[in-house]
This record gives sequence, structure tokens and C-alpha cells, in this order.
Amino acid sequence: MEITKEIISNLLDGRLADSDVEQLQRMHEKDADRFWKYLEVLQERVQWNDKILLRLTDHLYIVRNGNGARVVKCDCGHEFGDYRVNWKIASRVRVRRTAEEFKEVYTPDQAIPEPGWMTIREYFCPGCAAQLAVEVVPPGYPPIFDLLPDLDRLYRELGRPLEDESEDWFRDRTMDVVANFRR
Amino acid sequence: MKTSLLELVEQRDRLTEETGKYYGVHELTLKENDPVKYERFYSRLHATMVAAYEVSRYVTASPGAREMGEVLWGLLTPEGDALAISAGFFSHINSGKYAIRFMAEHHYDQNPGIRDGDVFVTDDGESGGAPHPGDTYTYVPIMVGDELVAWAMGINHIMEAGAPIAGSWPGFAVDTFMDGFVVPPIKTGENLRQFTWWEQMWLRRTRAGTLNNLDDKMRLAGCAMIHREIHKIISEFGLDYYKRAIREIIEESRQMITDNVRRTMVPGRYDGAAFRAVKYKGLQSIWEHADKDQIISIRQRLVVNGDGTIDAYHDGSSHWDYHAWNGYPGGADVAFYLSMINNFAYNTKPTSAVSWVMKTHYPKHSIYNPGVNVASFSNIWAQSMALNSIGFNSVNRGRFAIGYLEESFQAEGDWEGIQGAGVLPDGTPYGVTNFENVGGTAMGAFCFRDGQPIAWAEWTQLANIGNAEEFEYLIPATFYLGRKLLPDFFGHGKYRGGPGQAILHWVVRPGELYLSRGGAGVAYCTFVAQGMSGAYPAPANFHISARGTNIYDLISAGKPVPRDGIELIQMAEEGTLKVDQLDIWRYDMPPIRLQDGDLVATCNGSSGGWGDPIERDPNLVLDDVCQGWLQPDTAKKVYGVVLEKTNEGWTIDQELTTVLRKSIYKKRLDDSVPFEEFWEEERNLLLTHNIIEPVRYMYTHTVSEIYDFDKEVKEFWQLPEDFSW
Repeated sequence: MEITKEIISNLLDGRLADSDVEQLQRMHEKDADRFWKYLEVLQERVQWNDKILLRLTDHLYIVRNGNGARVVKCDCGHEFGDYRVNWKIASRVRVRRTAEEFKEVYTPDQAIPEPGWMTIREYFCPGCAAQLAVEVVPPGYPPIFDLLPDLDRLYRELGRPLEDESEDWFRDRTMDVVANFRR
Repeated sequence: MKTSLLELVEQRDRLTEETGKYYGVHELTLKENDPVKYERFYSRLHATMVAAYEVSRYVTASPGAREMGEVLWGLLTPEGDALAISAGFFSHINSGKYAIRFMAEHHYDQNPGIRDGDVFVTDDGESGGAPHPGDTYTYVPIMVGDELVAWAMGINHIMEAGAPIAGSWPGFAVDTFMDGFVVPPIKTGENLRQFTWWEQMWLRRTRAGTLNNLDDKMRLAGCAMIHREIHKIISEFGLDYYKRAIREIIEESRQMITDNVRRTMVPGRYDGAAFRAVKYKGLQSIWEHADKDQIISIRQRLVVNGDGTIDAYHDGSSHWDYHAWNGYPGGADVAFYLSMINNFAYNTKPTSAVSWVMKTHYPKHSIYNPGVNVASFSNIWAQSMALNSIGFNSVNRGRFAIGYLEESFQAEGDWEGIQGAGVLPDGTPYGVTNFENVGGTAMGAFCFRDGQPIAWAEWTQLANIGNAEEFEYLIPATFYLGRKLLPDFFGHGKYRGGPGQAILHWVVRPGELYLSRGGAGVAYCTFVAQGMSGAYPAPANFHISARGTNIYDLISAGKPVPRDGIELIQMAEEGTLKVDQLDIWRYDMPPIRLQDGDLVATCNGSSGGWGDPIERDPNLVLDDVCQGWLQPDTAKKVYGVVLEKTNEGWTIDQELTTVLRKSIYKKRLDDSVPFEEFWEEERNLLLTHNIIEPVRYMYTHTVSEIYDFDKEVKEFWQLPEDFSW
């Protein structure tokens, strides 16, 4: 089964037939060039020209921007900053703390988290208000850095090393930014 | 034995660690020289496992084993590595390593000795690698002359563990001395027969002795079949071929798993978290040190290395404590490897190789590695399934990033169990565990389509909640008024999670009956903390008990009766169903006395969504309302879809939907604040100690070894160095 860009596109749009999905799921070995085709399909869909290095969520990408920096960018165009910083700390946050607030997004009523024990955090893009992530965590829990990719390692393993390869690119720099809060 | 068991284990460790190849196998010479013979050899082993599975459950078994396949048989190397398994709950593939190592380190080969056809049993966490005492293992050594060449292993989830709280997942325990009938690896028989005293142990130390003995004999029957067949296979292929082939099978598997990681994952660091409520405050007054509520924190950092190996760190997880929900490394591994096997061992022989590719690191004194042998492990599964799920979702995020969208979904396995004990009107005592909701849960949404109900169980290939009738006749006094899916009971998203299920049990002439709850998540704390791409994770399980009802009057009068917990609550509120005492349990239901006509409802096994709910196709929302999965009010408030009811049914008001969705986007920006502002608000909460005791306790009781989670938390919120929670 050849995995074409059209198939990837249909998957992205939720239009691939279940039987075809099952065929993909049952492949004995995954197609090795999926990543490159995937990037091409994604690049064709965004309105901006920055080169996509990796997709993180439905809306968020790591791109090389016009200044050559590797940043997290929303498909609406909003930039969050260096991808080594948890993008959540550059988003807008709505935190739900009460039962009434919980019931607006959790159903049925009996299944809502317990106020005081848990909060619901919704992370929005400042640019387009898309809901990018949800965390249901106790008060005071630091935002979870879902994925810090080792981009250089990925590209090297796939045979196309990035030109600015450096060990420094696989380092969590979230605290560098947080340290500047309140200053 | 020709070589001591300890020498065998140490040799396996040394050869594997020094070479990076399982048992130092650099080349798959048997496979390459004669692949047909090699695969025929493996097929014979695998067929033997499947035969053990298919036959022994019908020779003798409890309904849990027979109906839902909560069983597994395996063939292990002398050191305890699995090289072939049957169908069943496959993650127990690695437990043998712990049990055999314990036997080796305690010189069982010298005392009591290990002989062909001996029988050993264990259900202990620390020494046997068991997740909880409900998971019981039988091991039969296979010897050729004085050489140990293999172990046959059978494992199943038994019907009752004999703890103070009846069932196989007690929800209250202070320490391991309340875990029930727990045995380290112990010799219980010879020549493929159990000693007669062993049968008495199940009868006298558990509440379902007959069923537990049926299971014990089932496990041994399967092991006996394996024992006989392995001797035949060794005679046919030769002992030398056998000894080399069993190493190559595992090395072959290790190579393929490593390749799969390299080809399908993005190297990097994936963080996940999950939480569980412990509601023990006020439950009892004897054990003061257990009289507290707390949140169990489960934290995992999955590091995918570029060489195809994975390290799973659990720093930031809770310290072990005086509750039922601790585990030991072997049991935690059983949970952790579920997702790893599912994701990376899908196209290779199922073996223990996965444990050489993925390494777990449990901080000492954590809930997964107590560092003491007194911690209770009665119900590790209540939180370790979340451990597995966050690992699974880390993998799913990696798959999504690299483009294998067909493998990208929200994984949750919020299973459910009702258990108890009673005395029938004729004086017969009994113990019960209802497994049905262990047999299947909803599958979460994929990044391109909705999730499905009861479609899978992470721990087995065979999602199957069994026949209701089976439980009605074998578990006394509880009958079904309903067994259905629950509307609105899923994580909302662009693609919604699969709906969870709801069962309503009716208690009929019970004699003396106590039931409690032993499942995974509880509504108090969402089972998995992170939603996918803006979706909500699944709402967790809850239960309703209705004591003192007029259900008989309703039935006699031919009036409607409730079919699930929500209908029960609604009818009670409307007054159409009289209820003397209605309890909605959003945490574990403790043992409660139930009388004739009482009702017990479970609502469980939902799953999370994928993507921003506001982006859901309004037509999909309409379909869900028409199918009965979604309430119209939810369609409006969560999805921003306005529906109108006409004579022909529901239709979408496209104009109002567009307006509503725009207003929801605006409200998001109006109601939210920049992260730094939120950070200030949250920091102030901590500085002023404006958090409740269970949360405070959680923060003071995380354990770290590799990286300091507590330090990270304090640094993140810029708390003073002398800050105390």
C-alpha cells in the first residue's frame, strides 16, 4: 500500500474510510518516508511560509521563522517563542475552579472533578482563541511540558541533518523564562 | 540442578548488559540458516500456549477467567524471560523475571529444590512481581535431566483475595498485612499435582475458595499441557537447538522493537501526569496513620533515545503510604509495559524483549517502589492503569508529530469493579468480584475520528465484558436492571471520546450482603490529566447506591424502572422512585450493607476526546444527539451547536450556531488571562497556603531520584527557599 499525500490529507480531514484506516493500522512496517510527506502536506495547508520542522498539536508547529530561529507557531500565525520553552507559558489561560465552572465543560454533572482537589486549565492561542490544551490538575501543579523533541536527533536519524545542529537544542529552557517573571 | 538458578540469572544479565544483545546473541544463526525450521519451532511453542489457553479454561475455571479471558500462559526461559505467550492480558509477560530472580536469590534450587513438574505459586508484589494479590501465578519448572530448560507460567485474576475488604481489589488497606492471602513464591505441589494442603489454603483464607481452586487448577492444567508439549518439542528438535533458539527468539524480538521505536517515534522528552483521590478520612478510627485524605500524584517522563531505547522516569510521583494503592516494581512494570507492547511489539513475536528496550526507573520509596515490604498493594491497578495511559499518550503524541496519524488517539483505561461478600439466606458464605467492566472500556478519540464505546481494554487483546447472565447466576443476589452506554459520558473534543458504560444492579433477597468498589479512576480526580490537542480528558468513574427503594412496587405495577445511575437519580428526584438513602459516590464506595430491593449503579470506562470541541463538525454533533449519545444542552454549551426540534426531529440552526461559536471564541479571550497573570494568581494561592490538605499533602510527599520534582515546582512558582507547604 503506497501512502500518498492524498491519503495523509484525507486522514487529516477525517475523511479516510475506516477500512483504509484499518489497512494503515495493520501495516507490518510503517512507511519510512511518512514524516517527509506529512510535512509537505502540512506546509501546503498553512497560510504562512515559515518552514515547518515538526507538528506538535492540531494547531501548533515548530517552525524556522524569518529570523532563522526555531519557534512554536500556531497555524493562525501567532508565534509562542523558542520551542525549548513550554509553549503553555506563552498562552492565554482560563482556569476553572468551581463546580459550576466545571459543569460547563464536563458531563454528566456527577462526573465533574472535585473543586479544591482539582482545577481545569484551558490554554488558548492569543492570536485565534483556539483551545490548544486542557489540563485537569491540582491547584499549584506546574503546567506539563507535553513534548520537548530532540529535533536534531530526529532529523539526523532520518538522514537529513539540520544545518544548525547543536546539543543545546535539546534542553528545557522553560525556567529561563519563568525566572524573569516578577522582574 | 547442573547450574544454580542464581548463576543462570546472573549469566543472562551479564551477557545482555555487556553486549547490548539479549543473552549476547550477536547473530540469529538458526533463523538465517534454516528459517523454516526456526519458524516451525516457534509456531509449535506458540500453538502450545494457545492450546493451554483454549483448553484449560474449559477444564476448570471461574467466570472471570472463562468469560473475559483475564488469564495468560507463557513459556519462560530458565531465568524467567517469556518467549511465547497465549492470548490474554499480555503485560504479565514480564512478571516471571521478578519471581524467578527472587527464587534464585533465595536459593530455591537448593532448598526446597527445583524438580521437573514441581508447582510454585505466588501473588506477592515484592517477591513475585504481582501487581496485586488478585493476580495469581503458577510456575512449573521443566527439566531435562538435571538441567532447567524452561518454566511454564499461568496467571489469572482470581475472584477473591481474602483481605479484610472483600473482593480482589480492596479499596481500603493500611499495610500489606491487610492485603489478604498473599504468598511469596512458594512450592505448592510436585509432579504436576498440588499438595492437598494447598487447596485448603484457598478454602480457608479466601471467601471464594471454590472458584479460586478452580482457577488454581486451571492454571496448573495449562502449565501441565505446556510441560508435556515442551518435552515433546525438545525431543523433536534436540536440546541444543532448543537452548539456542529460545535466545534467538527474544533477540529477534528485541531488534524489531528497537527498530520500531526508531522508525515511529520522535526522539525527545514526553511528560505526563495523572492523579487519584484517596478518601480515607473518617473511615475508621483504629489506624490513626491511615486516617487522612490525599491525592496520589503519578508522574512520568518518557525519554525516547535516538538509539531506539526508552527510559521511563517516575520522579515526582507520590511516596508510598498507608493505603491500598501502592505497588512494587514488578507490578508497576506489568502496567507500564501494556502500552509499550501495544505500540512497539505489534509485528514481532511477543516476548520479554520489550523490557530490555524500555527501562523503568521508580524512585525508591515511591508508590511504585516502596523500599519496604510492608506497603499494601491491594489495588495498585486503581492508579497504575493511569501510569500506563500517560505512557501510551506520550507515544501517541510522538506518532502524531511524526505523521502516523492512524496510531494517534487518546488512551485511557478507566476500568471498574464491584466486589463484596455475603451470607446467603441458607447460611452459605461467599465472596464475589464482578469483572465485567474490566473486560472493556471505551477507546479514546483518534486525531481524525471519534472514540468508540467498550471497544478495547488496554490490558488484553480480547475486549469482552462477558454475558450478563453469567454474573447473575454465579454472583449471588445482584441482577441486572440495565447494562447500557451513558449519554454525555465522554471527554469532549473535535472528535469526542467513546461513551462510558452504565450498569444498574438490583439486589434480590441477598441474605447478608456487603458490596464495595474496586475500580480505577474516581470522579474526584480526572483519571488522566492531559487532554489531546485541546480536548478534554475523560470524566472518571462514579457510582450510586439507593437503599430502601420501592422497586418491587414499580415492577409489580408495570411502571418504568431506571436502567442506569443517571435515570436512577432523576427518578429519585422526581419522586417516581422512592429511595430512603441515596448516595452518589464520586470516590471509592466503601463496603455498604445492601438489602432486598436496594440498587447499585456503576458509571465507568469513558474516554477522552481529541481537538478543540468548538471545531467539531455540527453534523457530527447532530448525529450524536439523534443517536442519544449527547444531550442537546451539551451540544450548545460545549460544542456551540444550536439545535432546533421539529416534527421531523432535530435540525441545526446554522445561523445561530455560527453566532454562538463566535461568541464562545470571544468569551475565551475575555475570560482568560496571559499566562504570567495566571502564574501570579496561582503563586499567591501557594504563598498564602490557600490549598486544601489533600493537595498540600500531595506536594509534601512526592519522591524523586533522577531529577528533583519538588525543587522544580518551587522554582517554577518562585517560592522562597524556606517555603514549607
